[in-house]
Amino acid sequence: MNLKAGPVAVTVKAAFTLLYGLPILWIVLTSLKSSSDVFGTQSSLLFRPTLDAYARSLDGALLTALGQSVTIATGTTALVLLVAVPGAYGLARTRGWVATVGLGLLVVLQMLPQTAQVIPLFDLLGNWGMLDQVGAVILADAALLTPFATLLLRPFFRSVPPSLEEAGALDGAGTLRTFWSIALPIARNGVLTVASITFLLAWGEFLYAVRFFLTPGKYPLSALLSQQVSAFGIDWPGLMALAVLTSIPILIVFTATYRLLRDGLTVGAVK
Amino acid sequence: MSGAPTLAGAAAVAEAPVEGSSRPTRPDTRAVRASRRRVVFLLPAAALMGVLGVFPLLQLVWMSLHDVTQRTINAPGWQFAGLENYAQGFAAGESGPALGRTLVVVLVVTVLGMVGGFTAAVALRTAGRWSGFLLALMVFVWALPPVVNGSVWKFLLGDGGLVNTVLLALGAQTPVPFLYDTTWALLSVAFVGAFAVIPFNALVYRAALLTIDPEVFEAAALDGATRWGEVRYVMIPAVRATTLVLLVLTIVYAFRSFDFIYVMTYGGPGTATNTLPFLGYLQAFSRYDYGLGAATSVLAVVGVLVLAAVYARSIRKEEADS
Repeated sequence: MNLKAGPVAVTVKAAFTLLYGLPILWIVLTSLKSSSDVFGTQSSLLFRPTLDAYARSLDGALLTALGQSVTIATGTTALVLLVAVPGAYGLARTRGWVATVGLGLLVVLQMLPQTAQVIPLFDLLGNWGMLDQVGAVILADAALLTPFATLLLRPFFRSVPPSLEEAGALDGAGTLRTFWSIALPIARNGVLTVASITFLLAWGEFLYAVRFFLTPGKYPLSALLSQQVSAFGIDWPGLMALAVLTSIPILIVFTATYRLLRDGLTVGAVK
Repeated sequence: MSGAPTLAGAAAVAEAPVEGSSRPTRPDTRAVRASRRRVVFLLPAAALMGVLGVFPLLQLVWMSLHDVTQRTINAPGWQFAGLENYAQGFAAGESGPALGRTLVVVLVVTVLGMVGGFTAAVALRTAGRWSGFLLALMVFVWALPPVVNGSVWKFLLGDGGLVNTVLLALGAQTPVPFLYDTTWALLSVAFVGAFAVIPFNALVYRAALLTIDPEVFEAAALDGATRWGEVRYVMIPAVRATTLVLLVLTIVYAFRSFDFIYVMTYGGPGTATNTLPFLGYLQAFSRYDYGLGAATSVLAVVGVLVLAAVYARSIRKEEADS
């Protein structure tokens, strides 16, 4: 393969670097500006950096929102793993109509528009008296992400050689034991990949949070951001500071799991 | 990472629709018994998805057939309305245009997302620090919450934003109303949707390109293939199956997307960015006509299911042909 970059490849790479680098750069730069510096061409790059926007954003409400984000994202990730890991293993190792129906349902469920799910869920959670509770958002988020997590995880379990499990069974290990001490350790990377993506997705989810919490005081960061950006008269430095603060945990999780994501996301997509 | 996430999951089941039928069954009774026992593993997922996935979907259809408003949503027994909600959506001139706008978004996102993803993958398949950095950067942007990506693009596309600053410096007379003009607004949210999906498509395409046997490129080089020739006659045919999967996934992603609309335009100006999923949301939660919103959402669900069926069929056909 011709692996040296030609002039076209260099141009393409430069264009994509600009397209994806510039927005990140702009978020950070804007968050360091004072409100009066935001618009106007001269001040685009030359300005006196200030932490005013961060100082304004950092208050008790922000810490509450951060706490909510952490609760929702970790709670959702835990619940999704609890459900999707055995589910994916089951789907990888069972055959017949149960597996076919299960897979078909998961494919359909993960394709549904979230706006179509929020309407009946709002009604049902209301009937069950669960609105305005963080548990309701965790449950709804888990239901939203479980189909995708299960489907992503299934190929990892399928790549565990069945002969290993059969050997385990011959040695007297039960079904649960073969799953726990043979299949699960081999599919470890898959579990980590799914955990990472589920966390990232739950951290960014805002529609359920906006609808199921009845008071903005309980919003996680993503929901807070979504309300500020759709308001009139936006305080851009403040908003961008909030965006940076919302993104820092993403950066941490991303940095820790990038290799897994890069290789894990494409499993099953390429034959 | 917007709607794109679910995309990843669907990619993983590329083989799913055919599987039940194509796998050879072994008449090994012990294996069959083990298989039956393992159905237990499916129970937690079945319980969660039954209560909070399938049941809400049925409830959505039920709501769409009834008169449900803010006043009656918590009342027992809704007034049956038949197909009135559906008829009302079309008669009021909302559902039809919304479907049209959804298709425009689908077209723009799909074309930009596929071409952009493939182009990036071809450039990124080369080894080296820059490629490694750029891939990580793009995947990071993909992983960012959609509210963050939507916010920054709302800022960049504003009258005094970076894009217009550059355009004015290049000689444009007035700022382009990216978010205030009805046509531009729809194109802008579609562009950001494509922006958010390109990294994922690039990642998948890159993985597919890396599986091509180097000898194929050597043979092409001996035949005197140019760089474009390599792309045209080696790479594009080699990733055909991947293209098929990504194509349908991108279409579904575009069809169901709403987060950038929520953040950047909230459906406006006027109704300019009311796509089918977003229109349903507004009808339910801004106008508190849950029945009408449910009916519009059912239309969106049907649209997605049709696409899913086409997807399953095309995959099956591909399997049969190869």
